[in-house]
Amino acid sequence: MTYIMSLFLFGLVLGLVAVASNPSPYFAALGLVVVAGLGCGILVGHGGHFLSLILFLIYLGGMLVVFAYSAALAAEPYPESWGSRPVMVYILAYVVGVVMVSGQFWGGWYETSWVPVDELGELSVLRGDSGGVALMYAGGGGMLVISAWVLLLTLFVVLELTRGLSRGALRAV
Amino acid sequence: MNPIVSCTLLITLGLGTTITFASSHWFLAWMGLEINTLAILPLMAQHHHPRATEATLKYFLTQATAASTLLFATTTNAWLNGQWDIQHMTHPLPITLFTIALALKIGLAPLHIWLPEVLQGLDLVTGLIMSTWQKLAPFALLLQIYPANSTLLIMLGLASTLIGGWGGLNQTQLRKILAYSSIAHLGWMILVLQFSPALTLLTLFLYIIMTFSTFLVFHLNNATNINTLATTWTKTPALTALTPLLLLSLGGLPPLSGFMPKWLILQELTKQDLALTATLAALTALLSLYFYLRLSYALALTMFPNNPSGTSPWRLQSPQIMYPLALSITAALTLLPLTPTVTALMMP
Repeated sequence: MTYIMSLFLFGLVLGLVAVASNPSPYFAALGLVVVAGLGCGILVGHGGHFLSLILFLIYLGGMLVVFAYSAALAAEPYPESWGSRPVMVYILAYVVGVVMVSGQFWGGWYETSWVPVDELGELSVLRGDSGGVALMYAGGGGMLVISAWVLLLTLFVVLELTRGLSRGALRAV
Repeated sequence: MNPIVSCTLLITLGLGTTITFASSHWFLAWMGLEINTLAILPLMAQHHHPRATEATLKYFLTQATAASTLLFATTTNAWLNGQWDIQHMTHPLPITLFTIALALKIGLAPLHIWLPEVLQGLDLVTGLIMSTWQKLAPFALLLQIYPANSTLLIMLGLASTLIGGWGGLNQTQLRKILAYSSIAHLGWMILVLQFSPALTLLTLFLYIIMTFSTFLVFHLNNATNINTLATTWTKTPALTALTPLLLLSLGGLPPLSGFMPKWLILQELTKQDLALTATLAALTALLSLYFYLRLSYALALTMFPNNPSGTSPWRLQSPQIMYPLALSITAALTLLPLTPTVTALMMP
């Protein structure tokens, strides 16, 4: 378990480096997808199976479409990847930055990150994540109503920003 | 924009700020900030112009970064302390992260670069919302972070007053000057935040009154650069005579109400035995005063050469409602005698 979690965590950091360092949208989107998948794996490792499933289905399901469209909009014949020199410089800089920051905080507050939720809860009826969802519906009903309204508003905002015929913001004047 | 859509967006803008005001839970506070950002984006991009779109994009990227940093700080806080309350934080790491995220959200000095760029791309009314209403929600959170990181706040404050004065020096664009003025004023507020939160609130209120009047005056004159200001005396003579006083009030000169916050903040800093900080802040305010004075000079202290017909343009009835401007400019000029009352009310 520890081995797989280490793999996931290293993959997460490297995937984020890929997102941050890539000038071409193809590989940045690919890096983001990899990061999201590995993040779901980490969530599973920490005991949040339900949350992980939600994240995987909603985030990857919804955002992949967006990524596909943005990658298609910004298509280029010779995208730069990790092999080219300027990208390499960025990667090295980010990795050195990560190593330096983690060296700064080593042994401080990361150790609790290995404790999964419900580690000792074999006899418990309630799982941590599904219990949390139930609690959110019970205690935060108004908040969920507002969230639903904001999702609807997001639709309006996107429509308003992308409407065509010289009224939208995405097209050139 | 369709009035119904515009009305919905404005109501949601209010909803976001209200949620942040009302929350004692970091998650809800974050949600309110996100709603705020989301609702203002179409309002920023409503004028079909590449600069407005660019400003919207820059604003979105900055605010998304700030909000995700805030969310990261929230989860770190919940993870380290096991609770989400805004007012019961103990660990210094999330507190520092919160402060930095909110500083990015309101545009304090090392994280200020987006603000002039964004404000320059907007029309004056949206710019007014951006520099008044959008500051309220992050400030409500900043005021509640209790064991504040003292060094960080003072560094942010001093850097903001310095950059706010320095950056505005060579500008000819009014919106950029107003953005730098906003940075400088926010710096003063952050400087005194840990010593007297009531004073921060007072400074914020007065800043909002003054910058509201300034934006409305510029909007009335349709002025976005200094050259346009130089001919406003032919259009609205009485208002043009008052505007230098308004600008000097923003700069903080004594008989005007802008002096009140600077006076009280310097007094508070001196009481806290921070003479050096107070001196530095006062000296950097001189830089701001220089560009306010330059605006006043172009506006009313000199008469620019113009052809005879240019000095007597046709004066039409303005469609703008004058009442808010009259009220706020009066408040921005003459509130100084209320200082004892205000101090007694806000700092008992």
